[in-house]
Amino acid sequence: MAWRFLLVAVVGAGCYLDRTAACQFMLHRPLVVASLAGAIFGNLSAGAQVGAVLELFYLARLPVGASIPPDDTGAAVFAGSAAAGVSSSIGLDAGSFTAVLLLSVLAAETGKLADRFVRKVNGRIARLIVESVDRGDVQAVEHGLLAGLTLFAVSGAALSLVFSGAGVAVSKGLLPHVGPSGRTGIAVLLPLLPLVGAASVYSCSRMEKTSAAFYLTMALVFGATLFFAWAA
Amino acid sequence: MTAAAHSPACKGKVWLRQFLLQGCWNYEGMQNVGFAYAILPALREFYAGRPEETLKAVKRQLEFFNTQPALGAVILGATVRLEERVARGEGDPRAVGTFKVGMMGSLGAIGDSFFWGALRPMASAAGALLALLHPLAGIAALLLLYNASHLRIRLRCYKAGMEGPERAVSWLKEAALNVKTEDRKMAAAILGGAYAGVFAGRFAVAGTGGGSLLLFLLFAAAVHLFAVLFRKAVSPSEILAVLLITGGLILCR
Repeated sequence: MAWRFLLVAVVGAGCYLDRTAACQFMLHRPLVVASLAGAIFGNLSAGAQVGAVLELFYLARLPVGASIPPDDTGAAVFAGSAAAGVSSSIGLDAGSFTAVLLLSVLAAETGKLADRFVRKVNGRIARLIVESVDRGDVQAVEHGLLAGLTLFAVSGAALSLVFSGAGVAVSKGLLPHVGPSGRTGIAVLLPLLPLVGAASVYSCSRMEKTSAAFYLTMALVFGATLFFAWAA
Repeated sequence: MTAAAHSPACKGKVWLRQFLLQGCWNYEGMQNVGFAYAILPALREFYAGRPEETLKAVKRQLEFFNTQPALGAVILGATVRLEERVARGEGDPRAVGTFKVGMMGSLGAIGDSFFWGALRPMASAAGALLALLHPLAGIAALLLLYNASHLRIRLRCYKAGMEGPERAVSWLKEAALNVKTEDRKMAAAILGGAYAGVFAGRFAVAGTGGGSLLLFLLFAAAVHLFAVLFRKAVSPSEILAVLLITGGLILCR
């Protein structure tokens, strides 16, 4: 098990770097991260299932200016590892799926706080860089940037460790203790979760013309799904 | 006063370093360290053998800077050209800061709307939909759809900037990012609608099997309600937290 946590820390560090500090190739998106976390903990498919729902949750919060959106990368590490763990113990039923997704909000908000802390520490690094340049040391810019990157990576690795540990603990400890009837009860909330994600996309893309396109497509696909189910 | 020619190797270094524009993002100077880091190879070449002027140039680049990271490439390229002029004694150093401040706000607004408000939702919705068929198909769709536009725009921005600040401004008009934003928002809306339709349909099939129209209206109303809440600055986390507490109450019942 230890190698899995080591691997998730390394992968998490890379994904967290992609989130803010480097490249932004979308390797930090929940669909990617939850699938990776799921694969590391033994079930890529379970990770991808929760990742596909998490992917859209937080799109409505844009990383504009100094605002920091909830940490959906951390939420995906938690949810991916928890989903993989649950699938190998009690099975990823609708109730466990719902519980994992809802609990991931705690990771998203904790990660946001950590991100704010890292950026504050970066402020100190930036001040040191300016002071060093004032003294004639131009190389301080390169050293300072490296320090900033390292800070983002170390913070990402630590968060990934914590969130994957929490995910495994939830999947092995908490969810098996909730009986089947309890999980069935929680599953009542499941239909709302993809709709939160869809609303997030709708909210981002909303213009005069797009509202009609959104609801028309929703109606068509809804009808087609019912038709194919009926035909089958 | 002469400046060394801007070598292809140096151009390549600056291009690669722009991917680390937010490497030391902080609340005071925001992307200032990343910008200074990216442009440093060019400054070293332009002011070779003139350490005092190199220092002044680096200090200029350490001033507050913040824009959308991908579109920052156009400012970076144009700033390289401005610094080249300054090093040759053909330009005013104050023009560098004025240009950056003048461009970063408007490019930030255009870029945020395009990348975060249109391209990313479109790629995410496509990825989430295709992941229902196969996880790897979803991941591939998300990464390819986003990065095809992202990398192309970054490269074009950098090239346009490298042709000088005047060309950078005219290129931005020609690029018509506002039109591209609308196209991608439309694609995102269609894909988002399909995503909602698939899940609503699945739940309807798994549920009663009857009263489909009523169920559809309920799902559509729920989407609309959540969207209205987002518009009123309610965070998705707050909605999920309410659902989490509801789940806890169901368990305690």
